[in-house]
Amino acid sequence: MPLHGIPAKEYLNREDELAYLRRLADPGADALALNVLLVGARGAGKTELLKQLYQRLFWEGQQVVPFYYSFKTAALKSTTFARDYFSRFIRQYLAFLRKEPLLIDASGTPLHRLMPLISSLGLNWMAEGIDNFQENAGQGDIYGQVFSAISAPAGAAQRGGRPILVMLDDFTTAEELHEARRGDASGLTSLFEESMKSSLCPHIITGSPASRLEAIFSDPSLYKGTERLRLPPLPEDIAHDLFVSLLGKEIACDRGAALGLMRRLRGNPLYIRNIARSLRKTGKKALTERDLSECYGAEVSEGDTAFYWSSVFNDCIREKGLKRPVLRLLMHRLSRGECDGTERLSQVLGMREGDMGKALDVLDAFDPGQDGDPVFADYLRSRYLREVEERSARDIQACLREEYGAAPDPSVFEMVIPMGDQAELVAARAVDQIGKNIRLEPDFLNYIQMALVECCINATEHSGSYEKKIYLKFITSPQRLEIVIESSGRPFSPDLLQEVPVEQKLAAGRKRGWGFTLMRKIMDEVRVERIHDRTRVTLIKNINRSEVRK
Amino acid sequence: MNPSPFQVTSRLVKDVAVVYPQGYLNNLAGEGLVSECSRYARTGIKKVVVNFGKTDLINSIGISLLLHVMEELQAVEGTLCFTDMSKVQVDIFEMLGLSKFFLFFPDEDRALQFLNVRER
Repeated sequence: MPLHGIPAKEYLNREDELAYLRRLADPGADALALNVLLVGARGAGKTELLKQLYQRLFWEGQQVVPFYYSFKTAALKSTTFARDYFSRFIRQYLAFLRKEPLLIDASGTPLHRLMPLISSLGLNWMAEGIDNFQENAGQGDIYGQVFSAISAPAGAAQRGGRPILVMLDDFTTAEELHEARRGDASGLTSLFEESMKSSLCPHIITGSPASRLEAIFSDPSLYKGTERLRLPPLPEDIAHDLFVSLLGKEIACDRGAALGLMRRLRGNPLYIRNIARSLRKTGKKALTERDLSECYGAEVSEGDTAFYWSSVFNDCIREKGLKRPVLRLLMHRLSRGECDGTERLSQVLGMREGDMGKALDVLDAFDPGQDGDPVFADYLRSRYLREVEERSARDIQACLREEYGAAPDPSVFEMVIPMGDQAELVAARAVDQIGKNIRLEPDFLNYIQMALVECCINATEHSGSYEKKIYLKFITSPQRLEIVIESSGRPFSPDLLQEVPVEQKLAAGRKRGWGFTLMRKIMDEVRVERIHDRTRVTLIKNINRSEVRK
Repeated sequence: MNPSPFQVTSRLVKDVAVVYPQGYLNNLAGEGLVSECSRYARTGIKKVVVNFGKTDLINSIGISLLLHVMEELQAVEGTLCFTDMSKVQVDIFEMLGLSKFFLFFPDEDRALQFLNVRER
């Protein structure tokens, strides 16, 4: 239900993304893309972002009509989907015009009952559209029915004179659209192509895992004119603010312990909400580190987070007999941190090669897309202990608490440098020493230094800051190096992030603008955010074994 | 990588200018490198070898200035060769998609050989 998002005041740090998406359908704005593929980890808040956008367009806007659709496992038979998609679109359009949210949820109301309202609003084209759709349905024309449902928003934008912003959630589920049974009509998602070409009807598409979503969009019919927008995790301080606001004023929590928990939750809003809810249920008014670790253990083994991951796991691995082998394989990978061949795995895990092959296939398709997520790893650990090792709930909780406490605190170094000539070299020297402390290979460090130098130069050149300072934070753990670079001044221009072909740059008089390309090539992740009055760039590099000196 | 202050020296080997940038190649330093190369170009020298053996770090501004040198030499149908670059420096050009626009040699001798110049 698109209007059932969280209150706007609890929705933190996504203003830039909201503004960007809002521009897509705004006739007066210069949109940067026709359609957007919104990617991010599970729980990063993709659905919530769409809901927030919907709410704002619905209540504040007069011109752009929002349409939200979430693909559901129960409506994947093509005719069922077509009816559902079409009737939801009609109801949401009418709800917007009348500013009447009840119409959105009135799914039981047959379309013909809406005719008097449609007629009173003078939407003759909509009445015709409904007649056409019902005619296709009556004739049993499956393709015509699906196509007319999918193209209804684009048609309405054309004939109704109002742009429509289509938001498609859980689009990865759309891969399973079928005629009579699963797999009998693959490729129905490509029917969105025509609708996505309309400049009056931009689409924002999201789903999980990101790899599957992007695989669907490797189809040339869909990726043309589609921009990719990554929704990053919340920065640590914002995650902490969210956590504290969710706990409420009446519950106090030790800041250091809370920040430790936020690092464990990797800025994932879903996890933060779930654990804050669990902590509120304990009724405690002053939370200690122990309270947090106990609650965390309960949350990932039997709380809402465990429930969430169970539903993903069960949905992806439907064959009952394969659940245990897949679980054993996942645990093996988790503890070893690498993949072995089928033969070696069979020996180690004592499974037949045939079964192993089958389990590996399922595992590849499962792709939870949460590499390096400690919460997902802990969920797996707890499930493994329960289902494979048949350990008691008490034992599992104890193991998880131990794991939580054993996670080494990352080392954090902070420094401030002036925006002066060659000051970036001071930062480069600092990262050199920090890297040496954790035994990183010198070559590996040289690349990181390059990326950092570029980032500092960017801050100096583009911020126009009166303060003329760059704030740096280096966070290291055995698995990764994270560098946060902040500067006050002008907001970051998205033009700097646009990739310009080399030939085009060479033809330009001023052959500049290599900094971000270089940072992106060197680092695993480059995030740019506006935090209060500062621009924050976060450079993240995952550390592999080969990059650490023996 | 512990960059030292930048300086540029050069020598003429027959009709080839060999330029030695030392230290951190950034905007200020890069201008020095560009003017050194331009000085040779003005005297009719069309072949330039830049030996990076003592260059600690090249930032993106330094790279853009090297592109200007390349452009200037292309205008007179000249040749620009890079030598003695570290693996990281070569990789940076590769990452930016610029390696196809330059000639790279492991050392100065091989660049001079390519340019048909023998020192003795």
